[in-house]
Amino acid sequence: MTAPASERDILAHAGASPISIEHHPRIEPGPALLRHTTHAHDLRAHRLRHGEPPELDLASLHAMAGAAAVQGRGGAGFPFARKLRTAAEHARRGRRPIVVVNASEGEPASAKDAALAEVAPHLVLDGAAVAARALGAREVHVVLPGDRPRASGLLATAVGERTDARLTWRVHDAPARFVAGQARAVLELMAGRPGLPVTAWAPEAVSGHRGRPTLLSNAETWAHIGLLALEGIRPTLERGTRDEPGTTLLTLHAAGTPVTVVEVEHGTPLAPLLPALAWDAPVLIGGFHGTWTTSAALAGAHLSRAELRERGVGLGAGVIIAPGPDACPLGLTAAIVEHLAAESAGRCGPCVNGLPALARAVRGVVHGVVGAREEAARLSGLVTGRGACAHPDGTARLVASALTALAGEVAAHADGGCGAGAAQEVAS
Amino acid sequence: MSETPLLWFLNRSTGITLTVVLSLSIALGVLTLRGRAAGDGGARVPRFVTQSLHRNLALGGLALLLAHVVTAVADEYVDIRWWHAVVPWGGTYEPVWLALGTLGFDLMIAVALTTAVRGRLRHSAWRVVHLTSWAAWLAGVVHGVMIGTDLRDPASWTTWALAPIVLSIALVAIAFVYRVVARPTPSTPTAPITALATPPLGAVPAGPGSRR
Amino acid sequence: MSGSGGDAARLRVDWPACKAHGLCHELLPDLVRLDEWGYPIVLADGGVTPAQIADARAAVRACPRRALHLT
Repeated sequence: MTAPASERDILAHAGASPISIEHHPRIEPGPALLRHTTHAHDLRAHRLRHGEPPELDLASLHAMAGAAAVQGRGGAGFPFARKLRTAAEHARRGRRPIVVVNASEGEPASAKDAALAEVAPHLVLDGAAVAARALGAREVHVVLPGDRPRASGLLATAVGERTDARLTWRVHDAPARFVAGQARAVLELMAGRPGLPVTAWAPEAVSGHRGRPTLLSNAETWAHIGLLALEGIRPTLERGTRDEPGTTLLTLHAAGTPVTVVEVEHGTPLAPLLPALAWDAPVLIGGFHGTWTTSAALAGAHLSRAELRERGVGLGAGVIIAPGPDACPLGLTAAIVEHLAAESAGRCGPCVNGLPALARAVRGVVHGVVGAREEAARLSGLVTGRGACAHPDGTARLVASALTALAGEVAAHADGGCGAGAAQEVAS
Repeated sequence: MSETPLLWFLNRSTGITLTVVLSLSIALGVLTLRGRAAGDGGARVPRFVTQSLHRNLALGGLALLLAHVVTAVADEYVDIRWWHAVVPWGGTYEPVWLALGTLGFDLMIAVALTTAVRGRLRHSAWRVVHLTSWAAWLAGVVHGVMIGTDLRDPASWTTWALAPIVLSIALVAIAFVYRVVARPTPSTPTAPITALATPPLGAVPAGPGSRR
Repeated sequence: MSGSGGDAARLRVDWPACKAHGLCHELLPDLVRLDEWGYPIVLADGGVTPAQIADARAAVRACPRRALHLT
């Protein structure tokens, strides 16, 4: 067992993300979005490969997005077609809508949007442009990741190359914070205020930037829309399943392997995605706001949002973290919750007060403190739904899943031990 | 009409009374927002009680202020026209001190109006105007001390008018200090949390139970 | 009388505006509790019965920060 880090080290790093941003993820070629990983990605090369996107009217775009069942890839999985329709309906009352590409990727463990910025930026931007034209929007705003300079630069360069008629492109730099990617936080940033969440009295598709209907979607969502526009619906329907056509990008973290972004058809069995050893220990699906699960709970599971939801797992933004049997999942959870607590925007009382208390409770579970488990469960319930954004809800979800899926580890820690191979309790 | 000094008496008495009433209102306004709530919060007097007292006293004070202004204008002994009540220049009777009184009145009208339409204003806008009540109070007190015959000359400080004014000033001064010094409701940190006190390895964390 | 939801009025807290003054709890103790830091816990998903509407409106007016909303 390695010597524990000094107390000062722990205090200094408590709050830092236990998983740092990977600026050079491995990007595996995929069947759709990641088809051209090794080719040039400037606008000219993109046009040579795909041609110009057609002028799609609203009805056609809506039908296509509906048939392909495009779901938001920012984490919430909201049906894109419905969002498009809401924006269109509220645009009829005389306010010109706006399109926003959210590439801020606030989740440190995710690298898929950065991967798209590197190998398919114009797929993303074509999707946004097509929707803008269908909606009658004249502005497309692109929100760049503040803490990923390389991806930010690549995407900004791609925006600079655009030649779409009657469309103005604007870029914004999201602050390097976890909550900066939240939809309202993005709208605040666009309005010139700090990029932090505020209370939303209506969905942004109804009333967003300057009160106008705002179609805000994740970069990957836009990439799927772009590909649909360029290729038509048939190729997408030939991939994936009947209920969930197409593909999804995942960011895979498995101990002993580099961080990898893969594109996977819906319906693919989950198990082979990770090395066999990774499944000997609990796996965190959905990133920092995700759900702990085990190979037993996921036996026979496929990549399907619906199927995973039935098993109590939310895919979120497609981050899969498999720390492996040598790491302590409870320790990792405690470190994640400490990080999330430090990342609170500081605007809502239950979050500002509740998350640090929750972090202390989870750390107490790691140390086997009597009553810490009940305290963590109580605080999870206390912070859920009581904030301007879903940051406390996601954190509570992570903790609740740890307490149930990792019940064995919780019991072991209560007895002073740890199930992990190296019995580490350090915060990283 | 002004042979009897009735209007003059009314003017002075409303002036002194409204000073006391508004000083109480200010003190209650400060009291509403400091400390915890009643019930689970632990305070003895519910905050909505202090809040309504604050509001009702302020309204009462405003009514007295209107009477004070009307009696001043109606009294022909001094040349105060009705527009001097809202426009702080052009007065011929003690112009400076009168203007201060007018200023206080104007600010109080602004406070009352913004509170009436509070639902339509942003909180920050309402609050900025509301904070001018301190200035309105100060303008009113200086006006009262200097324009009147009761208090201007220290030789006359043995009159009955002294006590309520001194008490009012003391009350508001204490309220002001309390407002500035006492922290707002303790559960609202003003800076984002940048570091957490995680229990050091091997130590027993504060909290329920102990490690077995 | 049905509970929350449907067309019934609902209480919502504007969380960034709320500063835990607690007047909502004082005026609506059946619908609003306070957590250990003084922030409101809205019960019954915020549903307000017709019998409670008057008190609910009073609570909305009383909030010093205008953080309580009846939608």
